[in-house]
Amino acid sequence: MTVRYTEQPERPLAPVGEVAFHQWVFPDGTLWTQFFRQGAGYLLRFPELADFEVSADGCTVQGFPAPGVPSPTVEHLYLNQVMPLALSRQGKLVLHGSAVEIGGQGAAFLGESGRGKSTLAASFATEGTRFLTDDGLLLEWVDDRCMILPSHPSIRLWEDSQDALVGERTAMAPAVCFTSKSRFLAGPGIAFCDEARPLRRLFLLGEAQVETPTIEPLRPAEALIELVKHSFLLDIEARDMLARHFDDLSRLAALPIYYRLDYPRSYAALPAVREAVIRHALEQSESIEHEFV
Amino acid sequence: MNLSDKVSIPTQVMARTVGDETVILDLASGTYFGLDPVGARIWGLMGEGATLAEICATMLDEYEVEREQLEADVLRLAAELAERGLIGPA
Repeated sequence: MTVRYTEQPERPLAPVGEVAFHQWVFPDGTLWTQFFRQGAGYLLRFPELADFEVSADGCTVQGFPAPGVPSPTVEHLYLNQVMPLALSRQGKLVLHGSAVEIGGQGAAFLGESGRGKSTLAASFATEGTRFLTDDGLLLEWVDDRCMILPSHPSIRLWEDSQDALVGERTAMAPAVCFTSKSRFLAGPGIAFCDEARPLRRLFLLGEAQVETPTIEPLRPAEALIELVKHSFLLDIEARDMLARHFDDLSRLAALPIYYRLDYPRSYAALPAVREAVIRHALEQSESIEHEFV
Repeated sequence: MNLSDKVSIPTQVMARTVGDETVILDLASGTYFGLDPVGARIWGLMGEGATLAEICATMLDEYEVEREQLEADVLRLAAELAERGLIGPA
């Protein structure tokens, strides 16, 4: 990763003189993140939790915990929210998604928070299929191949997912205070892939409207819209950068790799989901290889 | 909106073509809209500053279509795009 991060001593979250140029709000109306300009750079505020100062080029981040907020919470916010945003300012492509390695290639899962992308990645990883990231899907073109870069080797899960998938086999990172998710470190019991893998499948997670796993192709235009919706973007007003970002996503959308994956959200269904995904990814890989023979 | 109107495309609104469809996107608001090739042609002519009537005239040369139908389609598309803030008055 190419972001330099330092955590500073805690400080009160002082009122900011100007109006936020962007914000993230939960569906229930709770304010999650405010985006302010600060000189040439940015101030990202997570109310009652922390401030992060991001340099104009997205290469340097400083975290300031609010009084009483533990360091793991701030580190967690940095890894899952702020670092992807900083990378986007460097022109990198980061999506809200998880990814695993199947047959030496990458299969990614895009979805909003709560759609099950971390649970699905963890479900693969606890069964020996290595995961590349549980959120913050970082993509990079190398020659003509789009590669998934591995993230930090941890998976965050809600408590019910932990009980169902992980049990007591795995080392746990310190819990964070703003969510009932905990962060698990990779290790025995959770397999992690620490090398880049070519992106071969990108599954958009559906709304659990089915009784058995289904996989349906997406049109390129549908894929482009989903890629836009699931992008991390720090500065939504930097037009040149937005245009470049849209170009990058259009190039990505033209790949024949997009499918909508839907399945019932029960832990009992996960083995069938894994089997369907693995079979689909391997079939497609074989047919792609045959095209080049 | 009338056929004599010209429209403008806000600077933060962009269009890209993938496959045989075009996606228009307002990256600032997150609003998006998909167009088939005919819709994409109308969008392109809007961006060149033509009035809706001039767009219809050009399209009549290029496509097998009744004028009445075409004018209704162009006006409807312009209204939908305007409603989403993807075009504005020139």
